[in-house]
Amino acid sequence: MMEKVLQLTEVSKSYGSIKALKEVSLTIPKGSVFGILGPNGSGKTTLMSIVLDVLGADSGTYQWFCQPQTANDRKRIGSLLETPNFYHYLSAVDNLKITSAISGRGTNADIDAVLEIVKLSERKKSKFSTYSLGMKQRLAIAAALLGNPEVLLLDEPTNGLDPVGILEIRELIKRLAKNGITIIIASHLLDEVEKICSHVAILKRGTLLTSGPVDEVLSNEDIVEIGSSDLKALKDCLAGMDNVLSIKEDNNRLQVHFPAGTANMEAVNQFCFNKGITLNLLLNKKKSLETKFFELTND
Amino acid sequence: MSALLKIEWLKIKKYPAFWWMLAIVMLTYPSINYMFYNVYQQVTQGKEMTNSIAKMLLGNPFAFPETFHTVAYFSSFFVILPGILVIMLITNEYNYRTHKQNIIDGWSRKEFMAGKLIDVAIISFVVMTVFMLVAMGFGVYTDPDNLGRIAEQLHYIPMFYLQTFAQLSIAFLLGYLVKKAFIALGIFVFYYLVVENILVAYLKYKKIPITRFLPIEVSDNILVAPAFTGNFGKDSKEAYLLSISLVNQQVILTILYTVIIWLICFKVHSKRDLN
Repeated sequence: MMEKVLQLTEVSKSYGSIKALKEVSLTIPKGSVFGILGPNGSGKTTLMSIVLDVLGADSGTYQWFCQPQTANDRKRIGSLLETPNFYHYLSAVDNLKITSAISGRGTNADIDAVLEIVKLSERKKSKFSTYSLGMKQRLAIAAALLGNPEVLLLDEPTNGLDPVGILEIRELIKRLAKNGITIIIASHLLDEVEKICSHVAILKRGTLLTSGPVDEVLSNEDIVEIGSSDLKALKDCLAGMDNVLSIKEDNNRLQVHFPAGTANMEAVNQFCFNKGITLNLLLNKKKSLETKFFELTND
Repeated sequence: MSALLKIEWLKIKKYPAFWWMLAIVMLTYPSINYMFYNVYQQVTQGKEMTNSIAKMLLGNPFAFPETFHTVAYFSSFFVILPGILVIMLITNEYNYRTHKQNIIDGWSRKEFMAGKLIDVAIISFVVMTVFMLVAMGFGVYTDPDNLGRIAEQLHYIPMFYLQTFAQLSIAFLLGYLVKKAFIALGIFVFYYLVVENILVAYLKYKKIPITRFLPIEVSDNILVAPAFTGNFGKDSKEAYLLSISLVNQQVILTILYTVIIWLICFKVHSKRDLN
């Protein structure tokens, strides 16, 4: 049986009349890179805040490591929630000493090591208040990484980073995932999630729309992109083909949707040719997370 | 417990405002007492009859063992200074959002609040130490011959601590509930210097004897005015003896008030969303 790191059961949370989370149930398997996606205001940060005991749920429960909830659970989790939160008058090293003392993770040598990883070594003795936005974010990542926690919980980890920084963090996450660390990432950057996640959950206005392994979430339809000089004739022709679920026109080409696993490129080509239409484009397009995301989150 | 202390010390020891507060307290405590000592000297040092009478009435309030009482009384006017620091230490946590981060990193809500309790205890201790040194300094400086009586009024040291801790707890409660440093400071200073003094004057004028139960007065009355204030006739003697006789009650009430304040803080913090 799959080992669970985090289990949420019907968790709800309201801010006054606004329902931020509506009975969200979710299981995060050990060793997964779990992306939590959603537009701004969909409840990603609220969800993370609840499982870190920053906010209290109105109803529902959660369990870390299949055990009754205690503060000690959080010592096993390296977290970056929303913003880098540090004492402005202390240096990076002094701030991490506090993180280490509270969480019990990491030694002085580990502090130097994580600062090296996030490339802050040169400024490690400067006060936090003198850091740029990107440096503050790097320090927050360093704090989460300190002492090799079993689980990383990262809320918009690439916020404020430059393109090189984003790439470095992405590589770092992939490397950590290979070492078996469970990583939970909330993001609105679909590209980011698609590139690194093994599992995904999509939230919209507090409701969990779908969750599961990325392949399963994405692959419930096949899409074939085709084009010809007479798009209208092509569309009419394809409407007569078996298995076609829907046809959308996009950017002078057609996207033809088939049930998962049934799109056959040769059959499509043959079918059109027999109807007297020659194709100038034929592409088997795997559905991107972006398409799926918009499909799910658009009204 | 020692882990909490260590972590709070990591937060405080490099906080410039802490050292500023300490420096200012180290300047103001001797200064205010020296000012009163100067007044005392002026009225007692002349050769005239009035000077001798003054000396007879006042004694030497800065010699052992009275110095602990006198210096505690005058120094306690300045609890606003450490009060500012206490408010800063809690509102900083909101401002830096470290009140969330400490929890995220693995503290329970209770541990966070216990850390703050330790902050207030540390600051009260530091202030008490300065008071103790100043009181002893005056004792030695003004009348070294009385050194043998040093131990007679040492109970003013824990009483000074209790008063400071109680009043700083009020400052903490304000900072904790209001969250914004300047608003909390404003309320604290305004209440401490203006509101309660007006209330006390008004209630005394109306002869309603409840002033000693007001939040600041309750602990203010632990350190009553120095003994010489009871040497100016029958009324002053009676007033002094009455206030002295109430000290034990004030101590108990102060402890009760302070326990309630911290119970509120712990209770509220165990439930509230950390925004």
